[in-house]
Amino acid sequence: MADSLSVRHLLGIKDLNENDINLILDTAKEFKEVINRPIKKVPSLRDITIANVFFENSTRTRLSFELAEKRLSADVVNFSASGSSVKKGETLLDTVNNILAMKVDMIVMRHSSPGAPHYLSGRIPANVVNAGDGTHEHPTQALLDSFSIREKLGDLAGKRVAIIGDITHSRVALSNIFCLQKQGAEVMVCGPTTLIPKYMSELGIKISHDVREALNWCDVANVLRIQLERQQIKYFPSLREYSMYYGISKKMLDDLDRPIVLMHPGPINRGVELTSDAADSHHSIILDQVENGVAVRMAVLYLLAQM
Amino acid sequence: MQILLRSARIVDPQSPFDGQVTDLLLENGLIRQIGENLTASENIRVIEHENLHVSPGWVDLRVAGKDPGFEHKEDLDSVCVVAAAGGFTDIALLPNTLPAVDNKSTLGYIRRMTEGHPVTVYPIAAITKGAKGEDFTDMIDLHHAGAVAFSDGDHPLQNADLLVKTLQYLKPFNGLLMNRPEEKMLTRFGQMHEGVQSTLLGLKGLPALAEELIVDRDLRLLDYALGKDPVSAPVLHFSTISSARSVELIRRAKAQGLPVSCDVAVHQLVFDDSALATFDTNLKVDPPFRSKADVQALWYGLADGTIDTIVSDHNPQDDESKNIEFDLADFGITGLETLFGALVSHNQGLSLGQIVHKLSVRPRQILRLLPVTIDQGQAATLTIFNPERSWTFAQTLSKSKNSPFLGKTLTGAVLGIINKGQFVQNAGI
Repeated sequence: MADSLSVRHLLGIKDLNENDINLILDTAKEFKEVINRPIKKVPSLRDITIANVFFENSTRTRLSFELAEKRLSADVVNFSASGSSVKKGETLLDTVNNILAMKVDMIVMRHSSPGAPHYLSGRIPANVVNAGDGTHEHPTQALLDSFSIREKLGDLAGKRVAIIGDITHSRVALSNIFCLQKQGAEVMVCGPTTLIPKYMSELGIKISHDVREALNWCDVANVLRIQLERQQIKYFPSLREYSMYYGISKKMLDDLDRPIVLMHPGPINRGVELTSDAADSHHSIILDQVENGVAVRMAVLYLLAQM
Repeated sequence: MQILLRSARIVDPQSPFDGQVTDLLLENGLIRQIGENLTASENIRVIEHENLHVSPGWVDLRVAGKDPGFEHKEDLDSVCVVAAAGGFTDIALLPNTLPAVDNKSTLGYIRRMTEGHPVTVYPIAAITKGAKGEDFTDMIDLHHAGAVAFSDGDHPLQNADLLVKTLQYLKPFNGLLMNRPEEKMLTRFGQMHEGVQSTLLGLKGLPALAEELIVDRDLRLLDYALGKDPVSAPVLHFSTISSARSVELIRRAKAQGLPVSCDVAVHQLVFDDSALATFDTNLKVDPPFRSKADVQALWYGLADGTIDTIVSDHNPQDDESKNIEFDLADFGITGLETLFGALVSHNQGLSLGQIVHKLSVRPRQILRLLPVTIDQGQAATLTIFNPERSWTFAQTLSKSKNSPFLGKTLTGAVLGIINKGQFVQNAGI
């Protein structure tokens, strides 16, 4: 296995090869050990300055990146603005170039426009990490999901993962599909017909509109939130009806023939896609995902800093 | 002024000289003499060039002039300069300016500003005020003021009743309605062709269905409003069709004798949606680049005559509208300068005669312009070119730079145009 990545930026899982994914996940394993030690810090990125540039609201992803950066001893600055205020005034490129002028080495960016990190990566000298670009990709989330599945079930080859919920507006779904397929897992997406893109089936995945069918089929259920804030037009009648037909309860999980692993990228809308008792059940590895997120992001930043 | 074209191959399916390599002597805007070894007197401009070809001047049915209102993107002078460099002696300008071409004074402004230019400019007037799709403009008045056709340009007509009424209203003066077919409710927030590629890129799609529905609908409305009439000039013209099914619908309508015509934007013949993988905003265009099968169908449609003409869909956008995030960027590509090069470089089986027919003969028929033929005594409205010469599109004469061909090498070079007694040499090659 090569000991460096094939890319200078982490724009999406689409651009990674199998070796890149394995390298990141193996490196993350080492970092997970580090963050469970009494002294959770290593000096690896002591000379590196990283800016977390968030044009969209985020709590957990930004916190996770910031902790990962601090545990690698990087210097960290944070910039937050809503997409619309940027649209009115300064351009994305100007904003980032201003930050880079203050001698920043790496940009972690969340943005509501698909492709925004790709746009940036071709125009600035710093490494770019995509922390979510609209409805396109969220690569570190997919990597931490794979890491968490690996930790629980071992090698992903042949494993069945169902992604359940709002697929159309999810960057997590797309990155997970790419990531899981590259590791040999089988993928199903499940949700209301209007929340699954028409051409999704051509990506070599299974499609279901019946949540029980999905749960019966899978080894892992990765449940997504309804992205109401990203829905510019109406896709389904009500959250009430959604939760009645696509919500997952503990009873549904307990009634399955075999145990499955329950995941969620957060934040959970309790009572909508998951009932509280399901989210808090022994099936759930949701908090492990959060912990692993820091380790995986440390691995990504560490490996990109070598490029 | 006299001009002598030395050893030029005449490409004009309608000319008795078609296919001949010969000299042409032009004087005072007319072709005075065609023949071999014509003698050049003093003070005559001699144009000699390897592999020199000459055809009747080309016509572009769809150009955004941007003036008045968006002069920082293009203006009436620069658009004429760009058109001449692209080999166009005649261009029709879209009405989507600010104010829109929905009144005589804006129309008069465009005519006045372009009067003396070697490129002849034909303003298309808006069907509705502000091209907003609601209230009719004074169409008879605009017709008499010189509107060459009626269209809301890049605002597709949504209201079926409005379309029927417009077709009926234009009939007494043999007016032409041009419409870009698109059902806007199906394309809201869309960024690129809806397909696997849009799914992979997380971009909202512009489904081909949105175009096909309106082509189908408008053909039925045309039949309802005016009925079949195979001898008349087209009454309804579809602008920039992009999908295989649209081609098929129009093919059938023509076979049934509906007075309909259509065009395709040259970039649709070159790119498909896989080109968008890098989020290059210079490839963001509406209609969007569709599937490979659609591109194929467009070429077939050109070959069998279903698609009448090829347009540049020249739509200049400034850096502020393009050098930004993909979903915030404006739609549009500049295309006048590269139409011929792009077409020849990617040509799938069209003969030079067919290309000239599509760029010169057919668009004049659609716009009800006088025919231009290369013959002695005829007007010297000519495009000269070398279809085999390679050139690099290093620099644009447009005020905007939103071309995916910048920096690319193309085969098929325009050498210049001759119109209104003037010769404009293309300095760009």
